[in-house]
Amino acid sequence: MNAMSRDTALVRITDLHKGYGPNIRVLRGLNIEMKPGERVVVIGPSGGGKSTLLRVVMGLEEIQGGAITFAGQPYISADGRKTRIDTEVRKKIGMVFQHYTLFPHLSVLQNLTLAPCKVVGEPRAKAEERGRAILARFGLEAKADAYPSQLSGGQKQRVAIARALMLDPQLMLFDEVTSALDPELVAEVEQVILNLAAQGMPMMMVTHDMWFARNVASRVIFCAGGVVVEDGPPEQVLGDPKEERTREFIDRVFHIKG
Amino acid sequence: MSLDFSILLKFADALALGLWMTLKLTVLCVVLGSTLGFLIGLARASENALIRVPASVFVEFFRGTPVLIQLFWIFFCLPLILGVELSNLASATIALTLYMGAITSETFRASLRAVGREQMDACTALGLPRRVQITNVILPQAVLLAVPTLLSNCISLFKESALVSAVGMADLMFIGQNISNNTARPVEVLTAVAFLYFVIAFPLTRLVTRVEGRMLRKLAA
Repeated sequence: MNAMSRDTALVRITDLHKGYGPNIRVLRGLNIEMKPGERVVVIGPSGGGKSTLLRVVMGLEEIQGGAITFAGQPYISADGRKTRIDTEVRKKIGMVFQHYTLFPHLSVLQNLTLAPCKVVGEPRAKAEERGRAILARFGLEAKADAYPSQLSGGQKQRVAIARALMLDPQLMLFDEVTSALDPELVAEVEQVILNLAAQGMPMMMVTHDMWFARNVASRVIFCAGGVVVEDGPPEQVLGDPKEERTREFIDRVFHIKG
Repeated sequence: MSLDFSILLKFADALALGLWMTLKLTVLCVVLGSTLGFLIGLARASENALIRVPASVFVEFFRGTPVLIQLFWIFFCLPLILGVELSNLASATIALTLYMGAITSETFRASLRAVGREQMDACTALGLPRRVQITNVILPQAVLLAVPTLLSNCISLFKESALVSAVGMADLMFIGQNISNNTARPVEVLTAVAFLYFVIAFPLTRLVTRVEGRMLRKLAA
């Protein structure tokens, strides 16, 4: 207990194992220690477990082994066959998904206020005021009463980020949030994330955009075969990787791009 | 053979009464049946087998037997078992409500499923309690998604309701048949009856197509 409370990590992932069914093992003993204020970008080949890792950290998946602590508190653990998730700790984490996942039957403002009103019991008027303020910050004040189907992909994704921020998360997870966007809409979403980064928001993200990874990350983790292969500052992992597998991956990514 | 459609004018009032009865019965059974279908749809999505299995058996039974035999069974057999007389309106209402319940439950079940796994993930990521997930996110979307198919179900019921003439209910079909038999003018009368069903059902089928397009656009987010 004493050791726990002195834990300086924001997220500590220990020996994480996760599979789907008996034959597919996605994460095979993964260890990551993320310090407060870090911006971790996870890169790696498809099927290497990047998105699964984020989903596990969000508390969306069962795990088969290992544990995760958050700010020194036990958060997720595998207890025999059962996964135990502390839902109070989970509320401190926000996530944005590849496919927006806005609530299509609710207006933009209602999307933002649903959780604060229903989870925290915030008065509607106050939540709406905060919601409008966040939308204004994101240049979306005119869209408060629009429905998601009336927005562009970039606008939807910015609303999704705003919705997550309404709950004042201590960690933001971004799972390939620009992958579904038309190329000309990517920048507006990345700008919002860069602004959050500049304000010191801790974040963990998966992206295939190496330019963005280099600009936003304070640390890059190369994940393949369900384990961490290489872990270091962006200049090193993206620019001069030590591991052969990382080098191969980076070469291939830039080859395709070039 | 000479056709004389003018004879229909003599029976316009009777046909109107029959159509009125058909519409009343349809609306009544749409309201009762969709409510039942909604509840059965929820029951079939339940994780509890004691709720799910009986609901599924009910649906499969009603989907797997002709409406006519359901109607006859309720009209002739149910009174014997219960030991009470059932008016033909009551038995027709029960039969069509149960039938409508069975088919709309499938509609609701499909629309519940169509609200994707991703919406649930978003709810979890926002920390929404299960109750809020269901009442504020899943059910409203499921109901909206169900609207076009429900309208189709209503049109089917409107047409199937002609079967109640077989147990002597004075609906459009029954009155049409009577007039046809008494006047020996089946071509004129039965054509007119078919036309009356069509003028009600056709605009509704057009409406389904339009509503479907709008719903899909609205919910594609």
